[in-house]
Amino acid sequence: MPSTLEKIRVLGENSKYDICASTASSRTEKYPNLFGDPKKSIGNTVSAGICHSYTPDGRCMSLFKTLYTNKCIYNCKYCFSHSCKHKMSFSPEEYARTFMKLYSMNVVEGVFISSAVCGSADQTTEEMLEAIRLLRYKYNFGGYVHFKCLPGVSEYLLKDAISLSDRISVNTEASTKDYLSEIAEQKDYYNDIITRQRWLKQIRIRHNEEALKTLKDLKKDNQLKEQEKMIKERRSDGYKKFRWDGAPILNCGQTTQFVVGAAEHETDWDLLKRIDWGYRKIDLRRAYFSSFIPIEGTPLGNKQAAPLEREHRLYQSDWLMRIYHFKLKDIEGVVTEEGNLPQGDPKIHMAREYFKQHRHVNPNEASYQELLRVPGIGPISAKRIINLRAQKFAFKRRQDLRAVGVVLKRADPYILIDGHSQTTLHNFSNEDYKETQIKEISLGR
Amino acid sequence: MTKIKDPLEVIGRSKGYSHEELLKNLHRHSSYSPAIKRQIITIPEAILRNSGTQMAKKINRMMREIFTEAYRAKQFTRTEINNRGVLLGVVSLKHNVIDLVLIYFHERWPECVICLYNEQTRDTWVIDEKGAIREFHQSLGEVVEKISIDRRKVPYFEDIQFSGEEIFETLYKSQFITERENKQYFKKMIPDQCYELPGMKNGVEKHFRNKKLNDFL
Repeated sequence: MPSTLEKIRVLGENSKYDICASTASSRTEKYPNLFGDPKKSIGNTVSAGICHSYTPDGRCMSLFKTLYTNKCIYNCKYCFSHSCKHKMSFSPEEYARTFMKLYSMNVVEGVFISSAVCGSADQTTEEMLEAIRLLRYKYNFGGYVHFKCLPGVSEYLLKDAISLSDRISVNTEASTKDYLSEIAEQKDYYNDIITRQRWLKQIRIRHNEEALKTLKDLKKDNQLKEQEKMIKERRSDGYKKFRWDGAPILNCGQTTQFVVGAAEHETDWDLLKRIDWGYRKIDLRRAYFSSFIPIEGTPLGNKQAAPLEREHRLYQSDWLMRIYHFKLKDIEGVVTEEGNLPQGDPKIHMAREYFKQHRHVNPNEASYQELLRVPGIGPISAKRIINLRAQKFAFKRRQDLRAVGVVLKRADPYILIDGHSQTTLHNFSNEDYKETQIKEISLGR
Repeated sequence: MTKIKDPLEVIGRSKGYSHEELLKNLHRHSSYSPAIKRQIITIPEAILRNSGTQMAKKINRMMREIFTEAYRAKQFTRTEINNRGVLLGVVSLKHNVIDLVLIYFHERWPECVICLYNEQTRDTWVIDEKGAIREFHQSLGEVVEKISIDRRKVPYFEDIQFSGEEIFETLYKSQFITERENKQYFKKMIPDQCYELPGMKNGVEKHFRNKKLNDFL
């Protein structure tokens, strides 16, 4: 029987490619507390989480991240389960106790519970839920829980998982059915994954509607007014307008993860299309990408690792879609013929394409969307510019833009300040510029 | 005639701190003096926010030092809990931010009494379940003992009375992906001075900080 330490070593290592970056929660005291009296519960997820440690690659290590078990019925080609000879599982009590110990040491903020599929998805999920129930009701833990749903799990268990977690995710792994069957042939893409993601959305919405209805019955209570006010404010800010619905449960929504570069011909464009679908159809909060790293002893053990830069470009493009609200077709313009993102910041590529046909941006006249097109101007600085303009302020110098947080070294080539714009080497390679030069030479200037 | 500073140079509105924030927090700094307070009132907010003068620069630096110290304490203070629900730990705070750190732990453990010993002042600070903060000129052990006597044993705190250092060390090591190693970024996230903090002096992170001779061979 392996010791708890041995389990943490093996199951922790097996889960290291699972990505989770957030412990922030939008839960507040204003919401009905699902896990008993908030004044008595341990763990505070009202404010953004704090990272208590960082791994040697600089990644924040703020969650207790291990698998629940590494015994698996699936044979995914990229997965450690082929190579790992030590098969073991936590017991719910052991898992909960270990986490509480770490939490009491102030080294973790919350839980990220994932697992291989032992026996059946339902059987493993039952056990994982038992561990979370112990945390919530025995140890009184009210903090952050990220629950990883197993492919093919039943709807009634998803309901339970939703009611106990802050965030839920189902790993999509690949962008299409064909790519998934290439790397994990036993998994049914539509039934095991996509259907579960759709269920998560439906359960969450239904549950929230019911919860809000219950709240309306408590009209005397001031809580309702405050909550409604907050939802209204958030919506008017445009903050995650279409994804955040003031949810009393699963307040961090659902996420997903892709293995980048494991399927042979899968392109960045395929992945971006899938994410876009996720944002529109299943209220996906965000997507994570994990560059494929070959594990010795697996069928893909000899395959070349995917470059980390590819992962980085995908995150940048995802950011443009999610935070800047750029459309997928905007990004399509910069995707190479092979369907991958080019080297370098996608926003700069997009700006080069865009400004071939459009004039330089004048910060005194441009709309919010136009300002966002400029590299070096993000949503915050764009909002500041608009706010200052509303107060009759005119931007006459580059320094004025710097003062509101614009990164001038990136923005300079695309902005027009006081009638002037910067000329860069790029302008000299521009076809229009060359044509002008040729004309000027032929005219003998 | 002296040149009047262009007001537009200090236009950014979201940077820095407001007068209220400064007056509320600057007294926490170890080198704060009432003279600074008098100066704050005379400097326009736009200049303060944008470090427009040497004095404004100094004030902003002081504020940054205050909040960084509080944040680092929240991040890297390692605590333990006894079976009577008393959470204890050691901090090293130069500035007067102990209340911020205590409140942070109080929100996480609302049913517990939090005791933090400040190495710099050699005092023990306590926050109780109701959020009342007290100072004791005694060692941490003495204060914890005194508080624990009157408290009942809590079953679920008794459950976790075992050593956790090895557990954390194992978890930490298990998460490391060699292919992603990025020492520069790692050092940025945990800068040198953090290893001076009481919770990090013997932290497992320290072993990964620099390459060992074997790594080069």
